[in-house]
Amino acid sequence: MSNKEKVENAVAAINKGPKALKLYMEICAKCGTCASVCPVYYGSPEKKFNPSVRSDLIRAVYKKQCTHSGKILGKLAGAREFDERELEQWVEDFYSCTGCRRCATYCPFGIDNSVITRKGRAILNTLGLTPEVMKKVVEISLKTGNTDGASPKAFMAAIEFLEEEMRDEHGVDIKVPVDVEGADYFYVPPSGDVLVNIEATTGVAKVFHALGMSDRWTMSSKCFDGANYGLFTGDDNSMKEDNKMYVEEAKRLRIKTMLMGECGHAHRIMKFMMEPGKWWGDLPFTITNCLQWTAEHIRAGRLQFDKSKNSMPVTYHDPCNFGRSCNIVEEPRIILHATCMDFREMHPNRGENWCCGGGAGLSAMDTIHEFRMEVTGKKKMEQIRATGAKYVAAACSNCKRQLIQLMEYHKEDIAVGGVHDMLSRSILIDGKAAEHVDYEHQAVETSSQ
Amino acid sequence: MSTYAFIVGGVLPGIAALTFIIGMTYRFRVWSRTVQPGKMTLFPASDNTIKAVLAEAVFFPGLFRGDRVLWMFAWIFHATLALVFLGHLRVFTGLVDRILAAMGLSADAIAAMSNTVGGIAGVVLLATGIMLLIRRVTLQRAKEISGLPDFFALLLIIAIILTGNMMRFGPHFELEQTRVWARSLITFSPAVPQNGLFLTHALLAIVLIMYIPFSKILHFGGIFFTQSLIKRR
Repeated sequence: MSNKEKVENAVAAINKGPKALKLYMEICAKCGTCASVCPVYYGSPEKKFNPSVRSDLIRAVYKKQCTHSGKILGKLAGAREFDERELEQWVEDFYSCTGCRRCATYCPFGIDNSVITRKGRAILNTLGLTPEVMKKVVEISLKTGNTDGASPKAFMAAIEFLEEEMRDEHGVDIKVPVDVEGADYFYVPPSGDVLVNIEATTGVAKVFHALGMSDRWTMSSKCFDGANYGLFTGDDNSMKEDNKMYVEEAKRLRIKTMLMGECGHAHRIMKFMMEPGKWWGDLPFTITNCLQWTAEHIRAGRLQFDKSKNSMPVTYHDPCNFGRSCNIVEEPRIILHATCMDFREMHPNRGENWCCGGGAGLSAMDTIHEFRMEVTGKKKMEQIRATGAKYVAAACSNCKRQLIQLMEYHKEDIAVGGVHDMLSRSILIDGKAAEHVDYEHQAVETSSQ
Repeated sequence: MSTYAFIVGGVLPGIAALTFIIGMTYRFRVWSRTVQPGKMTLFPASDNTIKAVLAEAVFFPGLFRGDRVLWMFAWIFHATLALVFLGHLRVFTGLVDRILAAMGLSADAIAAMSNTVGGIAGVVLLATGIMLLIRRVTLQRAKEISGLPDFFALLLIIAIILTGNMMRFGPHFELEQTRVWARSLITFSPAVPQNGLFLTHALLAIVLIMYIPFSKILHFGGIFFTQSLIKRR
């Protein structure tokens, strides 16, 4: 089958669903509201960045394949014959959408262009046209269980380092249990929060310690990365395959609660796709997020902090997957209010927040670094500057990588890190907060994903 | 009766009604039967999906927050369109007049009210319709995504509004004619008003009605499907 036929067949299949996609093909009124709220179009108002134009790459072919008006009237009905030479444009365009879903919030019909983007990427994936870096991340993740390709040995070394750091900070042993069967909680962070930006994980470990629950949780030396790039390449099979490893591991460890880390898309896949979609049937465990879990303990007054450890102005960037897609918006704020002296909102925020510019996996693509810095991240940079904050908390490894690069590129002296990082620096263990030096420097250096 | 009048006023209304009913029923059936694996909730989402979707369909709150200028034109345009649709019930049946008369209004008062409300509505509709058209040809982000179907739909509606306004503000048109015509259609013995303007207005409206199930104007039904997908918790 030629590529042309493959594309046409894949597009024609939309006629059978999913329902959302089929409707998006048929009812767009072409009002342009999506463009006025899109971070990419804001960064550079070029025609190819208009969400409706990007979606038309598929919509026009759908009209040609599936509608009477398109078959009979052709161009007059907005239909277009697919041309294989367009594929290059497809790759560029579908990998310039950050999948942030902001368009759906304001579109009068709630058309979620990220669904169309994902379909476009899925079609490209079947043709082997997924950008190399994305392909590689998926491959490595399926082979090693994490997107960094780290071995269990490397993981154990990182955990050892992390425990040492905490001993230096507090003068007591704060455990990070690994591979403990029968534990209550199974912590699944993004691998970056263990291998690179360790403070989010030390923060979680300290909460367990402060609550006297150090022996009730565990990590896995095989499954320590919730990141799942199948969501970004549009490949459902590898997304599910990757996800299955984690569910199997949770079952093997006989845990009661899967505690997702500061990774928006990982939480979204577990909590909003896998669980309600019953990919693996009924689960013997519940799924929650460390932000929700910690916030609950703060609300109940079980944790104490020395806010003076975080005296600089701090703002929170709502990762799209946590905010718009998972409704985890108040919890990180509860944590930051409790742990920082000067918390500032950026505007707009929560469900209306602007994307960091690195969504849908773009953050991992160094081939489009300048595009991310100049175009997709433009609005975010303006938003952050307006707050006057010196630390941006983002509960997402992809956001963090994009934001750290943004600060470097635009020569801003603003640190970027997680939410639990702020907690890790200020939580009282035996009445004392951590003794530590030079976090800012560390945060800037950790610019790997 | 001329052949033209007979076709426009006697034959096409039936075809248009059938096309519309069958087309829309088919659309709604296919949409509601198409599978949707997985949820796609967009937060913040209300606990009351039906209320949230209705609010979106009636007041466009999402658009209000996203593009206030477009919201103003679009909302006034659609709200007036709904009002004019109700007004046309009076064109086709004397029922509305009888209800108003029963409430104690004189025939003159009813006519005056119709003239004022209907007249203003016609002008507002034309003005906002033209504004939407101007927006489409001048605003870059709308212009670059506009194709022939977008202009066709808008121009067609503007032409209908224009001919409707000409009937209201032009030489007097006795409404009793359209009521007789409506009754005659039901009994399959068409008595078509012999008025050029009326026939043009009716023909354009018939084209619009038949066009809806095959065009983007479907958004007026589709909105309930798409909005409930993202507003369902």
